[in-house]
Amino acid sequence: MTGEVAAQVFTRRARGERWRIRARQLRGILRQFARQRSGVLGVLIIALFTICALVPDLLVGPFESVTRASGEKFDSPSPTHILGTDELGRDVLNLVVHGARISMAIGLMATIITVAIGAVIGIVAGFNGGRLDTILMRITDFFLILPTFVLALVLAPVLRELLGEGSEFFGIRVTLLVIIVVIGITSWASTARIIRSQTLSIRERAYIDRARAIGASSGHIMRRHILPNVLSLIVANTVLVFAGSVLTETTLSFVGLGDQLAPSWGQILAFAQSSGAPGIGAWWYTASPGIAIVLVVLSFTLVGHALDSILNPKLAGRR
Amino acid sequence: MGSRFFARRLGQAILTILFVLVVNFILFRSLPGSPERILLRGTRISAQALENQRDKWGLNDPLLPIDLRIDDQGIRLVDFPASLTDNQLVAYVESLAQLDLGLSFQFRGRAVADVISEKLPPTLLLFGIGEAIAIVIGFGLGALAGWRRGRPSDYVGTSVSLVLYSMPYFWLGMILLIIFAATLRWFPTTGMVTPGADFASPVEHVIDVARHLVLPATTVALGLIGQYSLLMRSAVTEVLAEDYVQTARAKGLKGDRILRDHVLPNAMLPAVTLVAINLGYIVAGAITVEQVFSWPGLGTLTVDALRTRDYPMMSGVFLVLSISVVLANLVADMIYGVLDPRVRT
Amino acid sequence: MSAEADALARIVRRAGRTLPKLADPSAPLLQVTDLSVRFTLAQGHLTAVDGVSFRLDDGEALGIAGESGCGKTTTALSLLQLLPSNGRIRSGRVELYGIDLAQKSEAALARYRWREISIVFQGAMNALNPVIRVRDQIAEPIVIRLGVSEESARRRALELLDLVGIPTQRGGAYPHELSGGMRQRAMIAMALACNPAIVIGDEPTTALDVMVQAQILALLESLRWELGLSLILITHDLSVIAETCDKVLIMYAGRVAEEGPVSRVFTAPRHPYTQALLRAFPNIRADRRTLDVIPGNLPDLRDPPPGCRFAPRCTFAMDVCRVVTPPEVTMADGVRVACHLYPTPDAAVVEAPPIAQVGADAPDDDVDLSADNSNLRDADDDTPADEVQP
Repeated sequence: MTGEVAAQVFTRRARGERWRIRARQLRGILRQFARQRSGVLGVLIIALFTICALVPDLLVGPFESVTRASGEKFDSPSPTHILGTDELGRDVLNLVVHGARISMAIGLMATIITVAIGAVIGIVAGFNGGRLDTILMRITDFFLILPTFVLALVLAPVLRELLGEGSEFFGIRVTLLVIIVVIGITSWASTARIIRSQTLSIRERAYIDRARAIGASSGHIMRRHILPNVLSLIVANTVLVFAGSVLTETTLSFVGLGDQLAPSWGQILAFAQSSGAPGIGAWWYTASPGIAIVLVVLSFTLVGHALDSILNPKLAGRR
Repeated sequence: MGSRFFARRLGQAILTILFVLVVNFILFRSLPGSPERILLRGTRISAQALENQRDKWGLNDPLLPIDLRIDDQGIRLVDFPASLTDNQLVAYVESLAQLDLGLSFQFRGRAVADVISEKLPPTLLLFGIGEAIAIVIGFGLGALAGWRRGRPSDYVGTSVSLVLYSMPYFWLGMILLIIFAATLRWFPTTGMVTPGADFASPVEHVIDVARHLVLPATTVALGLIGQYSLLMRSAVTEVLAEDYVQTARAKGLKGDRILRDHVLPNAMLPAVTLVAINLGYIVAGAITVEQVFSWPGLGTLTVDALRTRDYPMMSGVFLVLSISVVLANLVADMIYGVLDPRVRT
Repeated sequence: MSAEADALARIVRRAGRTLPKLADPSAPLLQVTDLSVRFTLAQGHLTAVDGVSFRLDDGEALGIAGESGCGKTTTALSLLQLLPSNGRIRSGRVELYGIDLAQKSEAALARYRWREISIVFQGAMNALNPVIRVRDQIAEPIVIRLGVSEESARRRALELLDLVGIPTQRGGAYPHELSGGMRQRAMIAMALACNPAIVIGDEPTTALDVMVQAQILALLESLRWELGLSLILITHDLSVIAETCDKVLIMYAGRVAEEGPVSRVFTAPRHPYTQALLRAFPNIRADRRTLDVIPGNLPDLRDPPPGCRFAPRCTFAMDVCRVVTPPEVTMADGVRVACHLYPTPDAAVVEAPPIAQVGADAPDDDVDLSADNSNLRDADDDTPADEVQP
């Protein structure tokens, strides 16, 4: 074989070898994960709600909008309406199952934004150090200290006005889009911190110096060496961020920023509050979306902690 | 020795507050045509009179020390102005210095600062008591759990904490309301005082407020107890594994002395940090909890302002809340500096 | 020394001390008999210390040496029942002035902790409480255990700091403000706070550089003579023991291999393990290009092999070694050995050849310390070396 062909074969084989090693590691991680009962329970619950989010119509029929209410107002749970009805007579179970899609979709998209910003800032800050690091960390600290909820509260109406209420972007209504964006740009700070400290510890390792010595560029190093090692931490963190995003979205919707036509669980709770349900004891209306939220957030938290204890090198030693 | 640490923290806090001011300012002036449009809502006015009004309110001045203007076409960068002080930002800062936060739309022109100062004490009351309860019970339970590891109560405690942690604060409040106020009728459902009540003495007044305070304060406390106890438990567990605890045992010191003099002073450190970090998040909880219980504080004020598009009010509340949190964080940082000598060098 | 001379020396040395109430004035200072310590793990039990005995007399310095994991620290911790929660003394006696500490409850033991026996832990970095000033940490046991006023306790603490060579102005410092060597001295001062009879030093100089190490050892030596202290020094560094101790106890895999006066054991080692240990020390004057190592690893103490635990690595291993545990025999010159090569007190010293030499083909001015490279990993990295791509 000529040198060039040999080099190509070697590289391809090396690349194949890398994937095989990754696959083996992944299996090892999955095996460890399966051993943690809490994590497995979390995954099961998430699966259940994902199904609700993907095919709500299959489970409870079409969404009951105001004009298609199926029952009496404020009916307590009965065989026809397992979770009772709301102030307009809509079946609460129907609302909750359809709400899964909204809540989880918002959570997912907000999480993507949060983690993207946080990871980029974390890696860049941790890798470069010096001035850039200090500046980025100052900004991050600012966002950590600031009551981001209040920031979200004031940003949301401003953004809504700017973008024009009632319009759509990429097929998403402005109301929802604003919530997603607002959660995304206010929640990235703790992710950035975590990623940065991990990046810092990786940067100190020998193979980074080796890569530098042979002339690899910073971008290359960040992509090829740091990112794969931070990836596992990012994944564990993403799961926890998702849990937080769902909670934040719930709260934002509750104070009136939610979309009334496509109600998330938070928005359902807002309806409940404004219709006076707690005052008259319509517990089913309040409890149902809340329990759904608790289940989803709890399960993501459990999974996130399980992943964290496996993947986070600082915690993996201790148990 | 320690003064550099404190000075640095103070400096950071001031910087953050300045940043908050600027962000606040930009946010609320950047809505196209908003100030005068909304202030003059509904009134018919000629274009010339509008211009005069804008001039009177300084709305035609440059927005920032660089010439950024707001008009019907949105935000434009015009030029570098002749003077650095003849602009809206400086006017804004000046008025802030005089504690003038503008006039509320909602309340028909009442000073925002007045309304806020009216609604601030109830929030502080609710908040303060909730946090205090959470700290005492949460840290107490957590420390106990960490000290006596391995009992079955440990597992139960952790599970309960996790569940509490996954709940939106306000939802817990709604449930408590339904159970204890609407159904059992032990506590009133809304407000801070019974409306229209006539109190024979201040003591009766206090008791009435206390009755109204129980459920919301419990809600706030429960939301925090979960986190606090979990953290304290893991902090105590970590400290117990440290060598200096073994030294303390080797010295023949008794258990509670070891806990008091060696374990707790070290376990408190991450606890204080957590309380500080949480301050920003509690605001979210406080706002929504107030909403649930119709508690007449800043939270309800914020939500109402949001609903009625009372931008000066929202801007004012944002300012007050943010600055409070920054200051509270500063205090927490200072406390940490006192507790942990290592950060002072 | 004759028995009467012994007894007399003992009385003289103890003259300055108040013995605990239950003490037997004629008993040796410390007599450990057949001590066994067991840890309970998730997968079963681990006997870390298996039938260890030794004696410490007043004013003596005993060194306990052995590889990491041989049980020396566990032995020391068990004297004061400072084991972690999953460890327990299974059998044996720990007799201080004849009082069996192993039988005492936690509460009863408190009387003896620090006041009779104190410990200087390895790595004073973490053994000192980071949020308490050094002089307050030293004063703490004086106030609480001796019932002295805070004022006098603080004065005494400063005296102790001075004794160990720390300027008294640094007394108000926090641990992180002191250098490693000073922290170790501070720990020593703290160990002396209640005027103990025995100070145990657990690797007291391992975390320090050589210059500071020499200073600390000199300090311990001078304190010994000034205060009539008895020392138990635990270390894997034989040179420290050679310099400071009167007796040495060599441990292997939880058992005693050899024990006796330092001069005898180090010049004429009997047990093959001792010989290999001594040989493994590079001699700065000798014309060596190679390093002697002991191949193999410590046995897994969860399931130790029958017979002598060193047998798998021993060049002299005989069939009996793999079946019967060698009994401890005290030789004529006072050295105690547990090895089948020495079944009777008059057995001759068997000189072992080097067990293995590494790098015998290395060029003249090269000491080749390389071992098998293929399983090198980054210290805190789970990815194997072949994962790294340029």
